[in-house]
Amino acid sequence: MATNAEQPFKISVPDADIELLRKKLELVRFPDEVENAGWDYGVPLADIKRLVAHWKDTFDWRKSEAEINQLPMFTRDIDIDGFGPLNIHYIHQKSEVENAIPLLFVHGWPGDFLEVRKMLPMLTAKSVDHPSFHVVALSLPGFGFSEAPKKRGFSGRQYAEVFNKLMLSLGYNEYAYQGGDWGHVLGLYAVDYYGKKHIKAWHTNMPAFRRPTLFTHPLLFLSMLTLPFRPSEKAALQRTMNWRQTGSGYFHEQATKPQTLGYSLADSPVGLLAWIYEKLVGWSDDYPWTDDEVLEWISIYWFSRAGPAAAGRIYYEMNNGGTGNAFEGAKWTSVPMGVSYFPGEVVRLPRSWSYTIGNVVFESEHDKGGHFAAFEQPEKLAGDLRKMFGKGGPAYGVVTGKSGYDA
Amino acid sequence: MTANAEVPFTLSVSDAAIELLQKKLDLVRFPDELENAGWDYGSPLTDIKRLVDHWRHNFDWRKSEAEINKLPMFTRDIEIEGFGTLNIHYLHQRSEAENAIPLLFVHGWPGHFLEVRKVLPLLTAKSGDHPSFHVVALSLPGFGFSEAPKTPGFAGRQYAEVLNRLMLSLGYEEYIYQGGDWGHILGVHAVHHYGHKHIKAWHTNMAFFRRPTFFRHPLLFLGLLALPFSRTAKADLQRTMKWSKSGIGYFIEQSTKPQTLGYSLADSPVGLLAWIYEKLVSWSDNYPWTDDEVIEWISVYWFSRAGPAAAGRIYYEMTGGGTHDTFEGTKWSSVPLGVSYFPAEIVHLPRSWSHMLGKLVFESEHDKGGHFASFEQPESLVGDLRKMFGKGGPAYGVVSGKSGYD
Repeated sequence: MATNAEQPFKISVPDADIELLRKKLELVRFPDEVENAGWDYGVPLADIKRLVAHWKDTFDWRKSEAEINQLPMFTRDIDIDGFGPLNIHYIHQKSEVENAIPLLFVHGWPGDFLEVRKMLPMLTAKSVDHPSFHVVALSLPGFGFSEAPKKRGFSGRQYAEVFNKLMLSLGYNEYAYQGGDWGHVLGLYAVDYYGKKHIKAWHTNMPAFRRPTLFTHPLLFLSMLTLPFRPSEKAALQRTMNWRQTGSGYFHEQATKPQTLGYSLADSPVGLLAWIYEKLVGWSDDYPWTDDEVLEWISIYWFSRAGPAAAGRIYYEMNNGGTGNAFEGAKWTSVPMGVSYFPGEVVRLPRSWSYTIGNVVFESEHDKGGHFAAFEQPEKLAGDLRKMFGKGGPAYGVVTGKSGYDA
Repeated sequence: MTANAEVPFTLSVSDAAIELLQKKLDLVRFPDELENAGWDYGSPLTDIKRLVDHWRHNFDWRKSEAEINKLPMFTRDIEIEGFGTLNIHYLHQRSEAENAIPLLFVHGWPGHFLEVRKVLPLLTAKSGDHPSFHVVALSLPGFGFSEAPKTPGFAGRQYAEVLNRLMLSLGYEEYIYQGGDWGHILGVHAVHHYGHKHIKAWHTNMAFFRRPTFFRHPLLFLGLLALPFSRTAKADLQRTMKWSKSGIGYFIEQSTKPQTLGYSLADSPVGLLAWIYEKLVSWSDNYPWTDDEVIEWISVYWFSRAGPAAAGRIYYEMTGGGTHDTFEGTKWSSVPLGVSYFPAEIVHLPRSWSHMLGKLVFESEHDKGGHFASFEQPESLVGDLRKMFGKGGPAYGVVSGKSGYD
């Protein structure tokens, strides 16, 4: 039986783990590189050498750890049907505002719970001019400091169950949901299983779904065939095609052989660094990453509770080992949905396709920001949530008795 | 100006390199594994743990090295237009039979030059009953003990040039070609550039090509639409589909971001082991790999001259960074072609499609063996080459004055 008791949580990486990392970095063996490769073949050698030197000699994990530990973090056991209890790690920051809207923030890959960090003060801030939120941001099972499932088959339904039970255990019978990357895809499932009754509205910064077909969306499909795409849509589609053609190797490997890849990611700090850094840069909109930001991000994966190999399994489970696709189990619901479009997002589809995902009540387009919207453009994303849920907004008052404003 | 002199080659990995490997193995950090994962998620944890332990405590690299050094190995500089010179490592074993047929054996990924080892004595053996071959087996640029190209764009044309210049430098103006995996694909390119004039015939154990399209092969295409597949053709296609759905992660990553992957493979022995071992097992036909065989195989990658990250670049260069197929720039050639079909080969297309590869003069089907045919079924493969090139065979006497018999 799961103990539902919430435990305060502080990260405390053992000295031995830090020492092992340092020893491995000292023994690093670098590959060579083709001349003038730039970013074409993957992460450039000069970047990696610099980051490894910084990680080994300059980066202060204990300092990062202490900063992160100032966030209100907890763990609790969540029981999942057929999988037993998983100990889940999460941030839970309440607003001063009693009637703040409970909001669940869900990260993706290669993200983590800290992606909520910059928005936290904005979302919880009290003001008459905008709504406030009580924010819950978990580490997905297998990521950060949550346990990983031990059995096969942990998929959309199970993730949705974790989210909902977590929110219910915190006393939030009704809540709003925000996510990008897997946070978006899992949102589809969460809203399918728990929409209306528990999830009253949701928001995504990566609207992606199946292509419209003649059978599912005949009008949209026909318009695709007959009407030319607007230049902005063409550019968006081109970016998506680029991702598919030259940027989806990680996806295929993680969806089919995450264990094989996992030996590298668990054993080699530079291997893990390169694997993730490629996307931190490739998927963001010229975000000026500092070496400390990068290494803190990678360190979360390196020191993660389940180890770096576990995170990639979400791709396998959600895509049925490469033989299915993650959208197969999800369907359209009428739960109010908001969408934010960021130009540097990696999977970008025509805006008209958002209507195939859910009941779009809010849309907002930005001229800056990429895949890691909460990290790159926290004011914009928080601003969108305020507009969507605030007075006069299309999702105002969706959560019973929690308008986002005190009287 | 290049020195074309052949230099005998002795493999001699430094003590420091061996010590670094051991230190890394001592610090290995393993992932966990899902219950009942089997092979579904990739190389199983118990296999990898056992192999790492063997590598660290039992495997004797110096013993392997000494055995490998018994093979007649050499290096020489080969000049490639636009790429300067590359120092190429190769094995060259002549037969006692003076008129043996010069044969170039080309490996693939995750293979290497030692895949020729078991077929070597069989191919060079002199007999009245079958033809003999002078065998040349190189390490492809970026693999084994050959240098890797330093600049971008080293693709089909360049590989063909290396192969041809190597054979010419050894005095083989005309020769035949055998390959599987990249050896097969590069064969299509080599024959395109040097067929008839130099390459008189070629053989592949991995018949693989583009799908027929209406424009390129109208009859085959229509046959695809109209005729039901035979039961074996269906099973073949299913196996190929399975590979394409659940076994091509490596292909897509190596075709698009080989450098990113390369950091792992260069730095982590267990990472490299798992990456290659997954294919050694899944692509072979229940071959009873010993731990020594596996670790020796992986060690050739770990101790390779250009490092393990270089090998994957062939995928990038040959696909234009994932933007086209590997046959780009080639055309059908009438150079005689032989094909051996092994049941557990990963890519297994309907036999009729082999005609798209070239002028099919020889086919042979086996009931055992997989992707690493020369390693798993050396007698079968050699038997096919002997039939194809021997007296009465469809490619008998293709090389002027080198019938295979004294």
